[in-house]
Amino acid sequence: MKSLFKKARHLAGATSLALALSTGTVSAATPKDSLVVGWQFDDIITLDSAEAFEFSGSEVIGNTYDRLISYDPNDVSKIFGQAAESWTISEDGKTFTFKIRKGIKFASGNEMTAEDAAFSLQRAVILNKAPGFILTQFGLNETNVKDKVKAIDADTLVFETDKAYAPTFVLYCLTATIASVVDKEEVMKHAVDGDMGLAWLRTHYAGSGPFKVEQWKPSEIVVLSANQNYWNGVPAMKNVFLRHIGESSVQQLLLEKGDIDIARNLETEQLKSVEDNKEIKLIKKGKGTLYYLSMNMKDPILAKPKVQQALKYLIDYKGLADTVWDGRGQIQQAFLPKGFLGALEDQPFSLDVEKAKELLTEAGYPDGFDVELIVRNSPIRVDTAKSIQTTFAKVGIKVKLIPMDGKQVLTVYRARKHQLFFGTWGPDYQDPHTNADTFAKNLDNSDDAKSKPVAWRNAYAPEQMTKDTLAALVERDADKRAAMYLAIQKEHQQTAPFAFVMQEQEVAGVRANIDGFVLGPSFDSNSYKDVVKK
Amino acid sequence: MTELKGWLLAENPDSRTQAAFGRGYLGWLRFYHNPLAMIGFVIVLTLLLIALFAPYIAPEGISSGLTGDALKNARFLPPSAEHWFGTDGQANDVFSRIVIGSRITLVIVALVIFTAPILGFIIGTVSGYFGGWVDILLMRITDVFLAFPKLVLALALAAALGRGLESAIFAIAITSWPAYARLARAETLTIRNTDYLAAAKLQGASHWRLISGHIMPLCLSSLIVRVTLDMAGIILTAAGLGFLGLGAQPPTPEWGAMIAEGRDYILSYWWLATFPGLAIFTVALGFNLLGDGLRDVLDPKSGGQH
Repeated sequence: MKSLFKKARHLAGATSLALALSTGTVSAATPKDSLVVGWQFDDIITLDSAEAFEFSGSEVIGNTYDRLISYDPNDVSKIFGQAAESWTISEDGKTFTFKIRKGIKFASGNEMTAEDAAFSLQRAVILNKAPGFILTQFGLNETNVKDKVKAIDADTLVFETDKAYAPTFVLYCLTATIASVVDKEEVMKHAVDGDMGLAWLRTHYAGSGPFKVEQWKPSEIVVLSANQNYWNGVPAMKNVFLRHIGESSVQQLLLEKGDIDIARNLETEQLKSVEDNKEIKLIKKGKGTLYYLSMNMKDPILAKPKVQQALKYLIDYKGLADTVWDGRGQIQQAFLPKGFLGALEDQPFSLDVEKAKELLTEAGYPDGFDVELIVRNSPIRVDTAKSIQTTFAKVGIKVKLIPMDGKQVLTVYRARKHQLFFGTWGPDYQDPHTNADTFAKNLDNSDDAKSKPVAWRNAYAPEQMTKDTLAALVERDADKRAAMYLAIQKEHQQTAPFAFVMQEQEVAGVRANIDGFVLGPSFDSNSYKDVVKK
Repeated sequence: MTELKGWLLAENPDSRTQAAFGRGYLGWLRFYHNPLAMIGFVIVLTLLLIALFAPYIAPEGISSGLTGDALKNARFLPPSAEHWFGTDGQANDVFSRIVIGSRITLVIVALVIFTAPILGFIIGTVSGYFGGWVDILLMRITDVFLAFPKLVLALALAAALGRGLESAIFAIAITSWPAYARLARAETLTIRNTDYLAAAKLQGASHWRLISGHIMPLCLSSLIVRVTLDMAGIILTAAGLGFLGLGAQPPTPEWGAMIAEGRDYILSYWWLATFPGLAIFTVALGFNLLGDGLRDVLDPKSGGQH
C-alpha cells in the first residue's frame, strides 16, 4: 500500500503543478530573513541522531546538532573539533581523549558538558538502531559502553576501542550523524519505560546546533529557526523552511518564480533548462554515493567470471555520462568514491560489444540469456537501467526490467532473491572502510549469516580479500593503508560481481541572490548556516 | 442493389433469417445517418488497422538501440519530418512507440470485454432468475466489489498481484464485472414473470434452457451497449494503471506508461507526454462515440422507432 500513497502523492504533485501554472505571473519573493527550500524529504522517519540513517534526516540533524568532530566539506582530510575542542590519542592507539568546548548551550539553556557527549554515545550504542554499527564496530556493546565511553570530568570525554584501529577510521566514525551530542537532561526528562527518550526525540529537539528544529510535519514541512546562542556565529537566516515538494517539475517552476530559494531535486533535463536563467545558479558537489550494477552469484549463469566480465563491457559508461547523467555524475569504476583515501580512479571498462561477445562465447552463452533487473522507480535509475537493457540486447541478453518501490527493491535485494540489481551505495562515514566493509568483505556466505553486507547480498565471498580488508582496517600508517585499499580495489574491479558505473554529483538550483549554501560530500554535511541573502 | 434493398426492407419477411438481416440493415441505416457515431466508427476502425499493420507503419520499432555519441545527438529531438512525434530520452521514435502501443491497448480492451461482461452476465441472469438466497448471495458479493471505487480497487489488486500487463488486465476485469451483473439482473427481473417464460416452463424447459435460450438473448443488446460505452473507461483505467507504474513495464510502449515517463520532462520536452495523451484521448473518444451510436441502434427500448 505504501507505493499507492506514494503514487497518490505524485498525483497531488501534478495537481499542484497545474495550480502553479494557473497562478500565472504572480510571483512572491521569499522574506529577506528566511530561506525556503524545495526538497523531497519523504524519507525522514526520525529526527533522533541515534536512529536516523536516511539522507534527509541526517541533513536536518547535521544542521541542528553539534557533532564531536567535523570535517571540511571541501577537503575531507581536514578534520576539526566541533563539540570537542581538541583530542589526544594514547600510545597504544586504543584510547581517545576529547576536551569538550566550553560555552556551548543547548536550546533548553543547559550548558554542554562531557557528560552529555558520553551519554549521547552510550545512548546510541545501547539503543543500537540502524546506524548503531558505526559505534559498535569498536567493540562497544550495551554492557561495556558505560566503562569504555565516559566523562572523567566536566570537560573530558574518554573513548576506548577494543583494538588499535587506523586513527582516522575512528575519527571519521565520530563525524557521523550518530555522534551528535544531545542534551542529556532534556532527553532523559522524556524517557518512557527505559527508552532513553527515543519516542520523544524522534519528533522533538534537544541539540545545540546553528539551527533549532521548530516543527516537522512528515512529507510536508520542516521549520528551523536560528540558534541565537550559537558558539560559532549566529546564522543570518532567522528561519529556514524546508518544504516537501515531491514533483521535480514543480520545484523547477517555483524556483523560477522565486517562491522557493533553493530547489534540491531537479532532474538532468530540468538542470539544462534552468542553466540559461540569469536569476538561477547551480551549485554542484561530488557526493560519495556510487551507482552500481550487481550480479547475484546465486544465479548459475551470473556466477561465471567470464559472464561478469562481459556484462562490465556491456555498459555504455560514456553515453550515460553524456546523457542521463550529464552534469549529475562522473564515471567511477571502483568501490571507493573519488575523494576518499586510496580511491582507485582507473577506468578499465568501456562499452565493447565485440569483447563482451567473445567472453560470453567462452563462457558458453554465445546467444545471450534471459535475466531480470530490479531497480528503484526513480527517473535517473530507470533511465540508466533502460540504457543497460539496450546495450545488453546487443549480444542477445534479454533484460526484463522491473522498476519497484524503493522499499520493495531493498527487500528483494537484502534477501538476495534478485538476479541483477541496479542501485546506490552511500558511505556511512568518510573512511574507506565503510565501503570496503560492505563490498569486499564477507565472513559468512550462508543464507542465515548474521552480518549481511552487500557482498553477501550477491553471494560474493572472496577469502583473501576479506582478510586484506580487515588488515587495512588496523594499518595505522595512512600511506600504507591507501596502498592496501588500491590493491584491493584493483582486484575487486576485475573479479567481483559488481560493475560500478557512476559517482553522483548533487546539484541544487539556487536563486542568484543566495550565497553561502554549502553542499558537502555527504548529506549530513549540507549546510544552511552561512546562507546570506543579497 | 435495389433488389437486395427491397429484400432487406420487406415488410413481411419470408424467413427468420430475412427478418434478422432486415433488422440489422435498418440498424446500420440509423447508425450510418448519425455523423458522430460514424466518426467514432472510423476512429476505432483506424485503430484496428493501425494495430494490425503496426510493424509496417512504425518505421523504427520501440527501441533505437543507440549508444554513446549517437544516442547523445538523437535524444529529445522535437517533432520533425523524420520523427513525427519527436524522440525520447533513449532516442526512441515516439510515433513508432505509439503505433506499436496501439496493439497493447487493443489487447487490454479485448481481453477485458471477453471476460468481465460474460462473467457479470451469467451471475446477473442466474441471480435474477432464481431469486431467493441465490440472489441474495450473489448480489452481496457484487455489493462487496461495488463498495470500492473501481480505480482504487484495481490499483490495490494490480499492486498485490505484482507489476505487469497481465495483472493490470486481471485487475480491470475483476473490478468491472459487478456493473454488468447488476444490469443483467435488472433486465432479468423485468422478464422473469412474463407469460412466455411461464409457457416455456410448462413445456418442461430446464432452468439452464430458460436462462440461456430465453433470458440471455433478451438482455444481450443492453449488455452490448453497456460494454461499448465502457470500453473508453477500460482504456482510461489501463492507461491510469500504466501511468502509476502498475501496468506494462519498460520498454513496453503502453500509452499510460509513456505519459508517466514524459511527465518528468513536461516543462522541457512537451511532446513526450502530449502525443500518448492525444492517442488515449482520441481512442477513448472514438469508443465513446461508437458506443453512443450503437446504443441508439441496439437499445431495445428505442427499437423500431425509425
